[in-house]
Amino acid sequence: MSDTRQPLLRVRDLTVNFGSHRHPLSAVAGVSFDIYEGETLGLVGESGCGKSTTGKALMRIVEPSSGSIELEGVEITTQKGKALRNLRTRMQMIFQDPISSLNPRRRAKDIVAEPLDCWKSVEGDERTALVNDLLSKVGIDPIVYGNRYARQFSGGQCQRISIARSLAMRPKLLICDEMVSALDVSIQAQILNLLEDLKAEYGLTLLFIAHDLAVVKNVSDRVAVMYLGKMCEIGPPDTLYDAPEHPYTQFLLGAALEADPDSPLHGEVLVGEPPSPMNPPSGCRFRTRCPFATDKCAAEEPLLVEMAPGHTVACHYPLSLSRT
Amino acid sequence: MSLTPQLLVVKDLSTTFDTPAGPLAAVGGVSFDLNQNETMGIVGESGSGKTVLARTVMGLQPRSKVTVSGSVLLNGFEVVGASDVEKQKIWGLQVAMIFQDPMTSLNPVMRIGRQIDEILRVRLGMDRHAAKARAIELLELVGIPSPAERYHVFPGQLSGGMRQRVVIATALAGSPQLLLADEPTTGLDVTIQAQILNLLDEIKERMKMSVILVTHDLGVVATRTSRLIVMYAGRIVEMGSTRDVFVNHRMPYTRALLDGSPKVSNPSHTRLLAIPGRPPNLLKLPPGCSFAPRCSFATDRCHKERPELQPANTPGHTFACWNPLPTNRGASA
Repeated sequence: MSDTRQPLLRVRDLTVNFGSHRHPLSAVAGVSFDIYEGETLGLVGESGCGKSTTGKALMRIVEPSSGSIELEGVEITTQKGKALRNLRTRMQMIFQDPISSLNPRRRAKDIVAEPLDCWKSVEGDERTALVNDLLSKVGIDPIVYGNRYARQFSGGQCQRISIARSLAMRPKLLICDEMVSALDVSIQAQILNLLEDLKAEYGLTLLFIAHDLAVVKNVSDRVAVMYLGKMCEIGPPDTLYDAPEHPYTQFLLGAALEADPDSPLHGEVLVGEPPSPMNPPSGCRFRTRCPFATDKCAAEEPLLVEMAPGHTVACHYPLSLSRT
Repeated sequence: MSLTPQLLVVKDLSTTFDTPAGPLAAVGGVSFDLNQNETMGIVGESGSGKTVLARTVMGLQPRSKVTVSGSVLLNGFEVVGASDVEKQKIWGLQVAMIFQDPMTSLNPVMRIGRQIDEILRVRLGMDRHAAKARAIELLELVGIPSPAERYHVFPGQLSGGMRQRVVIATALAGSPQLLLADEPTTGLDVTIQAQILNLLDEIKERMKMSVILVTHDLGVVATRTSRLIVMYAGRIVEMGSTRDVFVNHRMPYTRALLDGSPKVSNPSHTRLLAIPGRPPNLLKLPPGCSFAPRCSFATDRCHKERPELQPANTPGHTFACWNPLPTNRGASA
């Protein structure tokens, strides 16, 4: 069903390598996915799985080593100079630590106005009106708080200002990298609700990167699971959470703790820790911790296969086949 | 409950920091008790005083600029007012604490085995060989593979999860009866978090310890604690069996915490019931209920008079609120 739509962002075989020639480290090892206009793609995985690097590579904050990224049909990876700067107004990023993403010695209204001033898109009264509008949209009263310095705001308020700044150029794509993980529960709920409202109002498309499975499910239209630089599974949240296809997704969900005293204590806990990306296992990268791994998993790398419309998995032995 | 002797009795405990801007009551008038072999959870947002409470119970405060009043009776030993020399008799042997960041709780330039040895030799007076053998046993107990080899590694050579296991091993070295775990899994990935929490459960049973689990994450305490304390602005606002707090809570703040956290079992795009505002400044606490400015049920009385903990229907369940939520709402929460 989603195939008929034109993707806003099309990523194919994206790889990002760090380290030297002698000791290469592939943080992202051939990842492909699409984000359709107006949807939220959630990207989950444990630390070191390459989810943040993927987000940064889309912005070209880190340089992709190979692969293709197309935004609205335009190849991003080969752009340079002014063309790249132009492209970046179409996508914006919000980071995890709200306090360090803002200059503590600048005023809230100046922070939000900076993208506008860089591009000289609006000036004078129009600029002031737009800044005030953006600040009120994120719940910061521009008259009372507009002249305060970033250092005078709490974490939740700083994250609101970051959101206002990212919306200033009316981007199509917003990349949110762990944007609520540093916030307290009650503030997190406020920011997540705000994001849903702004997404509808501004017609945003989101890539929502987070490690918290409950948060990702709450905001996403589709969820992608990454492990050690590879995509494991992509699917609609309700099916992916109820009937995961990849064993890793199942273990990840089993380990997630629900704030409910009646939730069953999931017996099976994944043993061991992720291997080093310096020396990834052959074949399927999850096989060293997977209870269902066979010789085939060591020899052949599983490719993403569509199990149901819109639900793809990279596993030789998807769980739905063993369930029946 | 009266049959098992209480391991810990905390009465009217207050910890006040003397800051340039005036006295800051990080913990105000907290009373609770803990039974032998019980796991209790303390939840709250940042700044609610949960960590300061745990540190005060342990007797860890800077000597100046802090005023502690009230009483912390641990197995008959009064922690409040005791000198460091006196407290050293219980630290490690009766009460031990594990902290959030396993890297900063270990000495980065000392081999992990030596850090466990140290406690065994200094506190228990073991000789070098006995201490080493026991340290390897402890490393094995906390699930570190090939403990005899790992005895010689430095903390930096271990992953976060493994380091937290080493910290747990050092905490267990003196076989304490009470383990205070302050956000023990906060920096860890979910699969590693599950391993560490299972390990704590297992060890608690095996060593017949009591555990106080301090966390901001309601998911961590939901199935692993028997009783729960909810803190807000330095005070206990609700306390009771974990089930009562989750299902029959009376305090609107407890409900706000539960409703505000997204759940895996809810369909996606479920609107979160967020409460407005943020926790109060502890230097300028409102005269009435600290939660009143954010509470949708607040009345004049809430803004003027501070509610004390009052008993709910079930024994052991107390809450501090003038306009509590109705009872018997069933298990719909």
